[in-house]
Amino acid sequence: MGLREVIVRELRRLVARKIYLFTMIIVPIGCALFFVSLLNEGLPIKVPTAVVDHDNSSLSRQVIRDLGSSQLIDIGIHLNSYHAALDALRSGEVFGFFILPNDFEKDAIAGHSPSITYYCNMAYFIPGTLAFKGFKTTSVSTIGTMAKVQLLSIGMNDDATGSLIQPVVVQDHPIGNPWSNYSIYLCNSFAPAVLALMIMLVTVFSICEEIKCATSVEWLATARGSIVVALLGKILPHTMIFSIVGVFMQSLFYGYNHYPINCGVWIMILAMVMFVVACQSFALIVCCVLPNLRLALSVVSLLGVLSFSITGFSFPLENMYGAVAIFSYIIPVRYYFLIYIDQALNGIPLYFSRYYFMALGIFPLVALTMLWRLKKRCEKPIYVL
Amino acid sequence: MKGVIKNMKSWWLLLFRVWQREFYLITHDGGVMLFFLFLPLLYPILYTLIYNKELVEEVPFVVIDDCRTLKSRAIVQMADATPQMQLVGYASDMAEARHWLNDKACYGIMHIPGDYSQRLVNGAQAVVPFYYDMSLLMRYRSFMEALTDIQIAIGDQERQGLLNDKGEVASGLNVSVIDSQAFILGDVTQGFASFVIPGVLILIIQQSMILGIVMLCGTSRDRRRQNKGIDTLAIKAPIGATILGKMLCYVVIYTPLTIYMLHFVPLMFGLPHVGNLVDIMLFVVPFLTASAFMGMVLQWFVSERETSFLVIVFTSAIFLFLSGLTWPRYAMEIPWRQLSALIPATWGVEGFVNINTNSATLSHVSTPYIALWLLTATYFVVAYLIWKRDRGYDN
Repeated sequence: MGLREVIVRELRRLVARKIYLFTMIIVPIGCALFFVSLLNEGLPIKVPTAVVDHDNSSLSRQVIRDLGSSQLIDIGIHLNSYHAALDALRSGEVFGFFILPNDFEKDAIAGHSPSITYYCNMAYFIPGTLAFKGFKTTSVSTIGTMAKVQLLSIGMNDDATGSLIQPVVVQDHPIGNPWSNYSIYLCNSFAPAVLALMIMLVTVFSICEEIKCATSVEWLATARGSIVVALLGKILPHTMIFSIVGVFMQSLFYGYNHYPINCGVWIMILAMVMFVVACQSFALIVCCVLPNLRLALSVVSLLGVLSFSITGFSFPLENMYGAVAIFSYIIPVRYYFLIYIDQALNGIPLYFSRYYFMALGIFPLVALTMLWRLKKRCEKPIYVL
Repeated sequence: MKGVIKNMKSWWLLLFRVWQREFYLITHDGGVMLFFLFLPLLYPILYTLIYNKELVEEVPFVVIDDCRTLKSRAIVQMADATPQMQLVGYASDMAEARHWLNDKACYGIMHIPGDYSQRLVNGAQAVVPFYYDMSLLMRYRSFMEALTDIQIAIGDQERQGLLNDKGEVASGLNVSVIDSQAFILGDVTQGFASFVIPGVLILIIQQSMILGIVMLCGTSRDRRRQNKGIDTLAIKAPIGATILGKMLCYVVIYTPLTIYMLHFVPLMFGLPHVGNLVDIMLFVVPFLTASAFMGMVLQWFVSERETSFLVIVFTSAIFLFLSGLTWPRYAMEIPWRQLSALIPATWGVEGFVNINTNSATLSHVSTPYIALWLLTATYFVVAYLIWKRDRGYDN
C-alpha cells in the first residue's frame, strides 16, 4: 500500500522543522492558556468610575457609600465638576461617572424630585455595561429608599411599602452559565477558532510546500501513485497531534477550570476529532482549488481570521445580513461551537445536534471529490512566486 | 568638516535609495500588495458589514402563562412590543418550552406563575422567572435590557393603581421623589459595530503592516538562500539608513490608507466619528512608526516567505484581547498588562477610540501617545541590533 512509508516520511518531515512544533503545539496550547489566564476573573468587575458630589450632605454621602459597596464598580476618584469627570473619561481613566446635584438632600426631603445623573462610556462595551448596571442598581435602590420614607410618612405599613416600591420582579435564570462568566463563553469559542486557524495553515503549508519544493513527485511515488494514500499518510499524523492538542485544551477548560460540561466527555472528544478532520478537509479543499502555497495560505489566513467574527461567536447570526451570515455555514468551527453550546453548555439530547455532526462529516467527503486536481498539480509541480 | 557633510549627504542619499527600492519591491510583489492594499481597503468593509446591523433585536422568546389574565397578557404584550424581544408562541408547560429552546426556536422562556395578577391586585410582590439561553452573551444582554425596562414600567403602573385605591391622600403623592437619568457616552446607540470597529481598524493597520513587512523580509531571505547569502535586490547602506528608509516607505504607503480607514470608513458606515481629524492623524504617526519597527523585529522569526503566515496571523487574536477593547486592561493580571504595553495596537486602540468615539483631544490621550513614541524608540533599537547581528552572519 505504501501508507506506512508515507506516514514515516511525514513524521520525519514533522520533526525536521521547528516551525511544526511551534504551529502545531506551542501556538494552540499557548493561546488556550493565554485565554484562560487572561479571563481568569470571569467578569472585569470593579470598573474604575468617578463621582461628582455637588451637595456634600449626609444623604449624598450615603448614596456614595452605596455606590462604593457595589461589587461592579470602584469609585476611584471624587471630582468637583462635570467637566473634570468628562476629562477623566476621555483620557480613559474612568469608564463612567455619577453626579449628585446641588441641594440634593434638601430637594429630596421637600419632594422636589432632584435628579441624579450618571454617564457611561459605551465605547468599551463590557466596562461600560457593568458601570451602567452598577449605577442603575444604586440609583433604583436610592429612589426606593426615599419612596419608602414617603409611604411610611402617610401611614402605610412596612410590608405594603416593600411591594409598592417594586410590584413586579423579573427573576433571572441564566441557564448553564449563571455567573454570566465571560471566560466560559470566550475560551470555548476563541480557543477552538485559533486551533482551526493553525490546523488550516499547517495543512496547507505541508501539502503545498511539497509542490513548491518539487518534492511532491517523490511524495506521490512513496504512496505508489495514489493521491488518497499520499494524503492519508500525510494528514493522519497531523490529525493525531491536533486531536491530542484539542483534547488537552478541553481538559484544561472542563477538567482543570471546571467550565460547565453537561454531556458525556466522549461526545466533546468526538466533536473535537471530527472538528480537526473537518478543518483539515477544508484546507484540503482550498489546496485543490488553489494549489499554490502562497495563495492557499492567504485564503486560509483571511478566512481563519474572519471566522472569529463571521461565525457569530459574539454577534448572533440571525441579526447579520443574510448575504453575510450565509458564509458562516462553510466554516467548520461554527459547527464545533454549536455542538459545544448544545452538549457541554446546555446538556441537551444528542438528537438536537445531529445536523452539526453531519455537517462536520461532510467536509472530508467534499474534499475527496476534488483530489484529482491536486494530483495533477503534484505530478507536475510548478512554483510561481 | 567637508567630509562630515559629504558623509551625511551620502547617508541621506542611501536612505532615499533604500526607500525607493523598498517601494519597488512592494509594488512588484503580489503577496505583499495583498497585505498592504487589499487588506486595509477591504477588511474594514467586510468587518463592518458583518456587524453593521449593530443591535441584537427581535430575539425570540416563548411564554408559559399559567395565569391567563388581562395583567399576564399585558406583560407579554409589553415584552413583545420592545425592540429587543419577539414572542414566538405560548408553551403549555416547561417541557414544551424547553423543547423549543433546544430546537433554537427561542432563546428565552418567560414563566408567568398562576397567582401573578392576584398578587398584583393584593399589593404583594409578583415574581416572574425568566430563563435565558446563555450561548451568546449579546442575546442575554438584549433580554436583560428589555426586561429591566418592563419591570420598571409595570411597577410604575401598578403602584399608581394601588395608591389610587388607597384614597386621595396617597394618590396625590409623588412616590418617585428622586429622578434619575442615564446618559450613554461614546457609542450612544450601543451598537456592536460602533463599539468594535474603531478598535479593529487600528488592529488591521498594525497586523497588515507587520504581515507585509515580515513577508518582504522572508522573501529577501529566500533570495539570499538562493544566491549564497547575498540579497541581490538589497541596497548596500548603513543599517540605520536601511531601517529608517524602509520604515519611511511603509509609513508613506500607509498614510493615505490610514486616512481612508480612520476617517472615511467611519463616515461611510455612520460609525461614531466625533474626533478631530488632525488629532487623529497626529496621534497615528507614532503608531505607524512603532508598528513598522515592530514588524522589522518580528521578521527575525521568519526564515522564508511563506512562514510569515504561520508565525504572524494567529497573533491577531492575541493582540485583540491584549488591546483592552473587549477585556479592559485594568482587569488584566500584571504580566499580561505589561505584555500588552509592548504592543503598539494596545495604545493605538486606546488613543484612537478615545479621540474618535469620545472626542478626546491629543492632550487627553497623552499617555498612549508618549507610550507609542517610546515603543518606536525601543523597537528601533531592537531592530537595529537584530539587523546588525543578521549582517554579521552574512559576512
